[in-house]
Amino acid sequence: MIIEIGHFAVVVALVLTTLGIAAPIIGLRTRSPEWVRVGRMAVTLIFVLLAIGMGSLVYSFIVRDFSIQYVANTSNSKLPFFYTVSAVWGGHEGSLLLWVFILSAFSTVAVWLHWKTQPVIMPYLIAVESLVMCGFLTLIVFLSSPFERLFPVPLDGKDLNPLLQDPAMVMHPPMLYMGYVGFSIPFAFAMAALFSGRLGEEWIKVTQRWTIFAWLCLTTGILMGGYWAYYELGWGGYWGWDPVENASFMPWLVGTAFLHSVMVQEKRKMFKVWNLFLIIVTFSLSLIGTFLVRSGVLTSVHTFATDPRRGLYILLFLTVIMGLAFGTLILQGAKLRSQVQLDSIVSRESAFLFNNLFFMVAAATVFLGTLYPLMIETWKGAKVTVGPPYYNAVFMPVALGLLFLMGIGPYIPWRKASRESLKKNFLIPMMVGAAAAALLFLLGIRSPYALAGALIVGFVATTIFVDFGKISVIYARRDRVGYARGFLTAFAANQRRYAGLITHIGVLILVIGIIASTVYQTEKVVSLRVGDEFPIDVYRMKLLRIHEVSGPNWNAQEGVFQVFRGDRLITELRPQKRVYTESQTPTTESAIYEINMGHIFLTMPEVSPDGVAVARGVINPLILWVWGGGGIMGLGVLLNIFRPRKRDE
Amino acid sequence: MSRGWQVALVAGLLGLFTLFYQGLWGDPRRIPPVLIGTPAPAFAGQEVMSGEHLSFDQFRGKVVLINFWASWCRECRLEHENLLAINERFKRDPDFVMLGIDYQDKVEDAKRYLQVYGTSFKHIRDVKGALAIDYGVYGVPETFVIDRQGIIRYKWIGPITGAVYTNLTEKVLVPLLRGSAVST
Amino acid sequence: MLSRFLLTLVMLVALAPAAPAAMVDETDIDIKTREIAKTLRCTVCQTENIWESGAPLAHQMRELIHERVAQGQSAEEIRAYFLSRYGDYILMQPPKHGLNWLLWAGPFAALVIGGFFLYRTLGRWVAQTPPPSPEAPPSLDDQSRRRIERELHT
Repeated sequence: MIIEIGHFAVVVALVLTTLGIAAPIIGLRTRSPEWVRVGRMAVTLIFVLLAIGMGSLVYSFIVRDFSIQYVANTSNSKLPFFYTVSAVWGGHEGSLLLWVFILSAFSTVAVWLHWKTQPVIMPYLIAVESLVMCGFLTLIVFLSSPFERLFPVPLDGKDLNPLLQDPAMVMHPPMLYMGYVGFSIPFAFAMAALFSGRLGEEWIKVTQRWTIFAWLCLTTGILMGGYWAYYELGWGGYWGWDPVENASFMPWLVGTAFLHSVMVQEKRKMFKVWNLFLIIVTFSLSLIGTFLVRSGVLTSVHTFATDPRRGLYILLFLTVIMGLAFGTLILQGAKLRSQVQLDSIVSRESAFLFNNLFFMVAAATVFLGTLYPLMIETWKGAKVTVGPPYYNAVFMPVALGLLFLMGIGPYIPWRKASRESLKKNFLIPMMVGAAAAALLFLLGIRSPYALAGALIVGFVATTIFVDFGKISVIYARRDRVGYARGFLTAFAANQRRYAGLITHIGVLILVIGIIASTVYQTEKVVSLRVGDEFPIDVYRMKLLRIHEVSGPNWNAQEGVFQVFRGDRLITELRPQKRVYTESQTPTTESAIYEINMGHIFLTMPEVSPDGVAVARGVINPLILWVWGGGGIMGLGVLLNIFRPRKRDE
Repeated sequence: MSRGWQVALVAGLLGLFTLFYQGLWGDPRRIPPVLIGTPAPAFAGQEVMSGEHLSFDQFRGKVVLINFWASWCRECRLEHENLLAINERFKRDPDFVMLGIDYQDKVEDAKRYLQVYGTSFKHIRDVKGALAIDYGVYGVPETFVIDRQGIIRYKWIGPITGAVYTNLTEKVLVPLLRGSAVST
Repeated sequence: MLSRFLLTLVMLVALAPAAPAAMVDETDIDIKTREIAKTLRCTVCQTENIWESGAPLAHQMRELIHERVAQGQSAEEIRAYFLSRYGDYILMQPPKHGLNWLLWAGPFAALVIGGFFLYRTLGRWVAQTPPPSPEAPPSLDDQSRRRIERELHT
């Protein structure tokens, strides 16, 4: 009964989206705000109805109603409560509903938040968001309904894929979807600007916080996916250049380019068409990601189960939205002529454009690599693989270039950088970077990536810390307070800029973590019996015993290992080889010990009946800097979003 | 946006949508066979039911149909009847041999499977999977046909049912046994 | 007291290792196997390499590589064997021949060509920007001037 109510609510929501598209358009044509109000009501009602739909689904999971096919496919009576709730978005149908639910929530907030201040673009905003919701709801109602009943009713469900029974995996889809959906708001504003002809800086200023919020969610979602891969999949890595990972990375790359490029438009009123192009590409890539993951076009560790009809529909929807967006850009964009005022190629405007170039090349590279197998197969029938070695080789130089620009952009003057300003801002940082690289070289480090990384990270870090230092001193002296107070005052005076710099610091830490944990990773795989030990890096691991343990919905063989350094016992690690009782799926659970901000990572992939275990040890130096760096990036964004509003905002 | 960029954008989008459309009908997991037209690798092993030692050399000069299967493979059950039918039809020809390769299986499971579902031809155990790798096999069932000169002429990934069955018997086995080339 | 002593004794006996404990380590063959396995694609778990993959076929392939390394075959020979059986797919990255050059050279070419276009466009913009007109600097009163001087020199 409950689920039918939810189903009904979702169907009504779908019908209302047509009203959400039509009403504002009528309002525009007849110049009557009442019709736009109708549109606003439609969007709000859609949100309420989808909340009912989601609620009914969550309820059905909690009471374990296995008469519903989706519930039976993705949960089980022994599934712990926490994962039962997250199982709601563990499968294709439910995750789609989550996507459109988040979209309706964001749309409602955007409409009500900007109602008073943006009357002109409001009808377009409502119509565009309703169009996207209509597309998704049509897919859900007709081709991907989580509300189907199952007959005969099974005694118990199939269980949630054990790999998804992990805290990071619970938050990963909602975060990611908030990122994708978040970008739909600036997208809708951009479309509104194009349709209405109001192509000034207004739409960018209004959507600035939406953009960085979306960026924050997308970044967090991606990092959570990496976190999950690291802790759950058990191979000691966090990024595999898997097509689905790439599907989320591409909008991130272009979104970051957009986020930076709009700063130039805000300041200098340049790049108008380019910024419109960027946000359309960003949102299109979010939709393309949805297509790739759910259509069966690509193989991946985590594509959802496929159905060519769904793929065909999503492709159609994609074509409509992208066609509409790019078409309008081409038609309207011709009317835009930016007055470009640039005094020198060596200027911040240039730096931003090179930033964009690098980001776009990076995105294009990932795009090409992801789709290349498909292209070759369609064209020649042959099959190739584009795997991590390709991406790592090709992506690294671009990433290093971007890092370098990160040091230049904030400190090179607008319009024209004189030789003096270049020397003043960059000479010392360059020297520090070179010194850092030289130091590492002297310490025996020979990896070109590590050395280049040291040079560039040293350079960028110095620019930022010198800046922080200078302003702390200036404000401290001005107000006659301590340097810390001086820094805080300076920070508050220019919060947006300094929050951004904090995000950059986070990036530096992330990069150091990535270089250290990739280039200097040690791995060892051995077969051993109880009592044996093996060396790895500077440690020694000894297998004490193997015994059986069990959990709420699984049984496991657990190995008890002692980790020594010399004669000192550091810790005990207990990796497991689990079998989830319902689905009989085996998983390897990793045992991790934190040391020196890195990890000793141990798994036991095999245990034979006669007591021979295969142990796999990995040492990941500075891995915590990856997650820590991500955290600081997020902190910077939060400081940016929650800043006091200035007079011109 | 200049005319050149507009054209490039539209062309790019059209290309992309076409590519996606084509992609919907392919199978991204399928690896196209590279061994067709190359000499079939030799192999030897223990027969499942009798335990006797069999080797590919015993069958040189004949048309050999090799089918990789396993007792745990659900799709193999779909083609089992068809395979028996193929053997029924062609076994009187002295130049035809059908062989099963039991892949990644315990001998008791394989024996039980054959006893329950019946068989009329011999099966060799591929204990370490080396045989399968030698034939570029990555899942079961997979079927190969080798001609009298020992060259692989046909490979099919998946169960032999429906149109595939007709094609295999009429367009591959019949011509090869007659002495002409595969007609596909 | 006695029971505690007996319990400890029993535990010591029970926990005494039955066989002499050994220090095991990877052999050179193991290390070489890992290096080679990491460059080959698993055909079952198609996004992992043979080293990472848990599929039985991947396990068998690792064993095969191990055997061949032990027999003295080189990495190239072993890769060539797999290539002859599974085609280009089995390599973790597309071999650098023919059309695949598009993939390998593409990003670098895009960067260079894009950079060139960008440089040219920027140059054009600079050329068409009129030089800033010489304006009289706004007048400052003395107090402001002194304050600015102070701040600039600290």
